[in-house]
Amino acid sequence: MHFWQDSQFGNRMITLMAAIVLVLQIMMVTQRWLITNIRAFALQSFLLACIATTIAYYNNAPHIYAAAVFMLLVKAILLPVVFERLVTKIEIRQEIEPLINAPISVIVTGLLTLLAYVVAEYFHRPDEPMGPASLGHNTLAVAIALFLIGFFMMVNRRKALTQVLALLSLENGIFLAAISLTYGMPMIVEVGIFFDVLVAGMVLAILVYRIRETFDSMDVSRLSRLKG
Amino acid sequence: MTIFVLLSIPLLACGLTAFMRSRQWMETIHLVSAAGSFITALLLAAEVLRQGPVSGKSGFLYADHLSALVALLTAFVYLVCAPYAIGYLRHDESAGTLALNGGHRAALGKLRMYYTLTPLFAFCMFLVVVANNLGVMWIAIEGTTLASIFLVMFYGRPTSLEAAWKYAMIGSVGLSMALFGTVLTYYSAHQVLGVDSVSALNWSVLVLQAPHFDKRVMRLAFILILLGFGTKAGLAPIHTWKPDAYCEAPVPVAALMATAVLNCAIYGLARFYVLTVRCLGPAFASNLLILFGLLSVGVAVPFILVQRSSRRLLAYSSIDHGGIMALGLGFGGVLGILGMLLHMTFHTVVKPLLFLSVGNVQQHTGSDALRKGAGGLVHVLPISAPMFLLGALAVTGTPPFSMFQSEFMVLRAGFAGQHLAVSILLVACLVGIFCGFFHHVTQLVLGPPSGAPREPVCRWKTYPVIGLALLVITMGFWLPAPLYQLVNGAARILAVTQ
Repeated sequence: MHFWQDSQFGNRMITLMAAIVLVLQIMMVTQRWLITNIRAFALQSFLLACIATTIAYYNNAPHIYAAAVFMLLVKAILLPVVFERLVTKIEIRQEIEPLINAPISVIVTGLLTLLAYVVAEYFHRPDEPMGPASLGHNTLAVAIALFLIGFFMMVNRRKALTQVLALLSLENGIFLAAISLTYGMPMIVEVGIFFDVLVAGMVLAILVYRIRETFDSMDVSRLSRLKG
Repeated sequence: MTIFVLLSIPLLACGLTAFMRSRQWMETIHLVSAAGSFITALLLAAEVLRQGPVSGKSGFLYADHLSALVALLTAFVYLVCAPYAIGYLRHDESAGTLALNGGHRAALGKLRMYYTLTPLFAFCMFLVVVANNLGVMWIAIEGTTLASIFLVMFYGRPTSLEAAWKYAMIGSVGLSMALFGTVLTYYSAHQVLGVDSVSALNWSVLVLQAPHFDKRVMRLAFILILLGFGTKAGLAPIHTWKPDAYCEAPVPVAALMATAVLNCAIYGLARFYVLTVRCLGPAFASNLLILFGLLSVGVAVPFILVQRSSRRLLAYSSIDHGGIMALGLGFGGVLGILGMLLHMTFHTVVKPLLFLSVGNVQQHTGSDALRKGAGGLVHVLPISAPMFLLGALAVTGTPPFSMFQSEFMVLRAGFAGQHLAVSILLVACLVGIFCGFFHHVTQLVLGPPSGAPREPVCRWKTYPVIGLALLVITMGFWLPAPLYQLVNGAARILAVTQ
């Protein structure tokens, strides 16, 4: 049997790529440069598209190909390009300035990953050898970890654009959960979600631009005049 | 068919105004689309009352009593706000607040933005209630956020940007939790229903199969859904975007957000509540809803007591009423759910009255401050100020106004369901809110004349206020029988047992 027909091989590839996705997420937490952050996000989205393709191939689920294509177009190409243009256009300082320093961030990230594995255990069914759950065990843990780390990044960041990136990587976690648990959502839902993500990305990019123009900074901690 | 028309009217209006250059035409289309939507929503309600749930497009669109009720309420607010918005924006245009450093063209651009995005906003809300597929419902709720972000930052002030940013970020994070919850619901359902059937996320299919869902997954899903749609409804502790957005958005948009969006979020929550109750039994969902509901009512009290801005006062009142609706749903039983739906209906009539009259006050006096020597507004605004007082009486649940009945019903459900401590706390909070409201509103409205010039009466801005006030008074004594049937039918959908 050739390796491309062996679903065990497919599962191993998926687990490997999911691991890299998680590593990229942790990298995004710690590294300092905005452009690198955007590229890490693009690479992460690209890997997710690969995971989706692999799942579609080994499980004969053609509609996941569509999800993979949308992922590739919207999150791996279109939004990163828009964000990079935005960064060059508004000439911001490139450093990210997190609120919590890198070593402590890594520890927090590690704890969140641990928590994700505990939650994923909750879904694990040893009595059901086939189907998504067996594949899902590792991948789902990664998905939940992406979700939680995304949350942490949002809280930990000051600059508007990095918060948007954190939000989008958090949504990557949901995408991974959806394809690993249920082989994706129904087609219409999938299309709608990507449309929403695209519009949200654009709208938020405009907002970031306006904030930068008005406050001469992207530091959202300056947005603190409304109280009570 | 009716559903399809209901969706296409605002969408068409949005598409048309996007290319308009004349203000007159934009206003006309806005009015026509609002009136058309309301009539269609009435027809839809009549159809549902006559023949039960309606579905279209092979089960993709689906309207039962609950959808028809929420669609009708949404269309009502849209209708009331349409003529008001015309007067409101004309006033802004002549006062030069629309475009601070642009000329006529910039102002026209702003107008076009308003008249394009508001119908889109309404379209998303209609889609929320008629989408059968829970995934599509999520998309539509996210759509309401996206359509309204630019409306929140309409005036382009630094504070509007701040409000829009908070609204966008908190809203998106919240809704991403709801999306995760929807994915998990699909997961717990697809083991029963099979993979990749388009109908596998259709509520009308799910509700029949709900008892067989994976219980552990459903529990996690409901928590995420509650956090997500709770954010959208502004339930504490994720309510912080609400006061900011309500005090920065144009008044008609704030009125739409405070009523129609709140209803849509509660509607989404209610749909998942039914699934959860059928899967897990009532206790789990009820306890969570009661916790969040009581927290919201409790959070509103101190902020209402020390509030300085009338718009933020209304926002906290909206948090409080969202909390009461969550409590009604949580107390459950026929009584609690009927109370919650009636409360939703009455709140949708009363809250726009408050927003519109506050808008008139704010546009005339140029500030929404509650203290700073303001007072005696009744001499300056002889129509809007008394209407504000009337609305404040109604919204705090003073008899004989209708919200007294619905709040009382929710309380009775609480006592009947053995939630003694929660009910007593709720009464205490309601009294606190009443006191806060009265302290502020009487100080603002009554008092000796301040000598400020009288407001010139603008028909666009005054008639909606008068109409709403008449409706509020009427509804205290009389609820139209078909509307009650609709509410009753919706209550039957939500009052499920395992």
